[in-house]
Amino acid sequence: MRRNAIVAVAIGLAAIAVPLIITSEFYVNLASQVLIYALLAVSLNLLLGYGGMVSLGHGSFVGLASYAAVLLLNAGYGQLPSATLAILFSTACGGLFGLLALRASGIGFLMITLALGQIVWGIAYRANTITGGDNGLRYATRPHPFGIDIDGAASFYWFTLIVFAVALFFIWRVTRSPFGASLQGARDQPRRMRMLGHNVWLIQWVAFVLASFWGSVAGLLYVYYNLFISPHAISLQQSAEVLLMAILGGASTLTGPIVGAVIITLVKNVVSTYFERWNSLLGAIFVVVILFMPFGIVPGVRQLWHRWRAPKKLERAA
Amino acid sequence: MTPALEVTNLNKRFGGLPATKQVSLSVMPGERRLIIGPNGAGKTTLFNLITGDLTPDAGSVKLFGQELLQLPTQQRVHLGLARTYQILTLFPKETLCHNVVLALLGLSQMRWNVWTFLSGQRHLYDTAREALALVGLGASAERTVAETSYGERRRLEMAMALAQKPKVLLLDEPLAGLSQEERQHVRDLLSRVPRDVTIVMIEHDMDSALAFAERITLLHYGEVIVEGTRAQVVADPRTKEVYLGD
Repeated sequence: MRRNAIVAVAIGLAAIAVPLIITSEFYVNLASQVLIYALLAVSLNLLLGYGGMVSLGHGSFVGLASYAAVLLLNAGYGQLPSATLAILFSTACGGLFGLLALRASGIGFLMITLALGQIVWGIAYRANTITGGDNGLRYATRPHPFGIDIDGAASFYWFTLIVFAVALFFIWRVTRSPFGASLQGARDQPRRMRMLGHNVWLIQWVAFVLASFWGSVAGLLYVYYNLFISPHAISLQQSAEVLLMAILGGASTLTGPIVGAVIITLVKNVVSTYFERWNSLLGAIFVVVILFMPFGIVPGVRQLWHRWRAPKKLERAA
Repeated sequence: MTPALEVTNLNKRFGGLPATKQVSLSVMPGERRLIIGPNGAGKTTLFNLITGDLTPDAGSVKLFGQELLQLPTQQRVHLGLARTYQILTLFPKETLCHNVVLALLGLSQMRWNVWTFLSGQRHLYDTAREALALVGLGASAERTVAETSYGERRRLEMAMALAQKPKVLLLDEPLAGLSQEERQHVRDLLSRVPRDVTIVMIEHDMDSALAFAERITLLHYGEVIVEGTRAQVVADPRTKEVYLGD
């Protein structure tokens, strides 16, 4: 427990120091992107890992929050009202999507979330007069929270890091809370949970809303970072990629999706500049991880660590 | 007096197969009722209809006079219904203690709390340990279900149900698959359950549960064949015919 806290603080400090160590603006921006995708993956993992609900529509919250923020800002609302209303709108859509998707479970749930994601994408793509269609929309300028300028790469990274840390803290508390225990119980034994007095449907719906809320926050960060939103950002491929981040890193853990987001974002952006077949590399990584660490990287590494420690402990005991 | 559990003309068909035919039974508060019948008699189906795992085609189920059929399972539990399963449905990777805590949470408003640490809820864990101690699993509270024996899991089922302090407890073959010693332990445990809990117990093997029963209902092909006091049912020739064999 104590060691975990030390590791967490060390990683936190390293994350704060990133723009000080890496001076290249490209890489600092990349670090911001990693955080945004990590938040998206961690929020999705509330459903996937903790709730056992596989959603292929999580990218839609990036779109809903981003488009709403752009349209509200363009309509003359200030930065803070736009941001607040955009997240409220996107989360409310999440509540509605949850109502529809939770009519089914398993593959049915997956297909409905896929359909909902595609509907959002379709509206963004076809409703030219509102969304600008394929050309997308520009977000005029980044906000200045508390008067602080976050236009620079480093300052934006720190801003993103703060939002990410707050989000991760909240999600961590949820996973350790009575509600988190109920959510995991509903994943493993829904029938038994009902017989213990739990409202399984409502538990899953609340989890869906929580996930869409933090997904929407990630969406807002996305539009702040890119100052642009287009249907491309909410394509099925994006939703699938976020899902893969969570699975690759390990959906049974809080930190797994972060590791997955780091790996996939880096391979996509860094390796692709040196190596044309980066998609093949990503595929190879998947195959290797699934073969040797079927539960993802974080649980896999943890297992290796314990295996490496166990003989030492025995030695000491002897 | 209002019966604790009253089932009236309950019908359920699976396709063409009637699983429950016009079943009626009424269990008084504090009663110990045994439901017996050969395999496929519809005993577990009856429980599933009472708890809401299945929806009947027709009929009525009342708990202390309140109609249950329109209510989802979890609300029936909040009214004081609890059950154990014949096929164990526990949380295998969790500790026994955590399993009971989930049972306690089910009836606590705290289950919606997304902020406090569950592990910090001392009173929940203390109550859970007490429930485990009651069934003789006090020393195993921190083991995971996967590390326990079948008999221990059966007792965990009982601990989870009893921890909820139900008014009506449905036990689905609590003695099945247990050793003689374990059976005796469960029987002792049942005899210590206070009388404000009404118990309905399904048992396939009549002999092992006979001492427990005050009244017995015999089901056969989804129908109530005989019902009465222990002595009446045992003496009834139809019991011999369908159940005990000649």
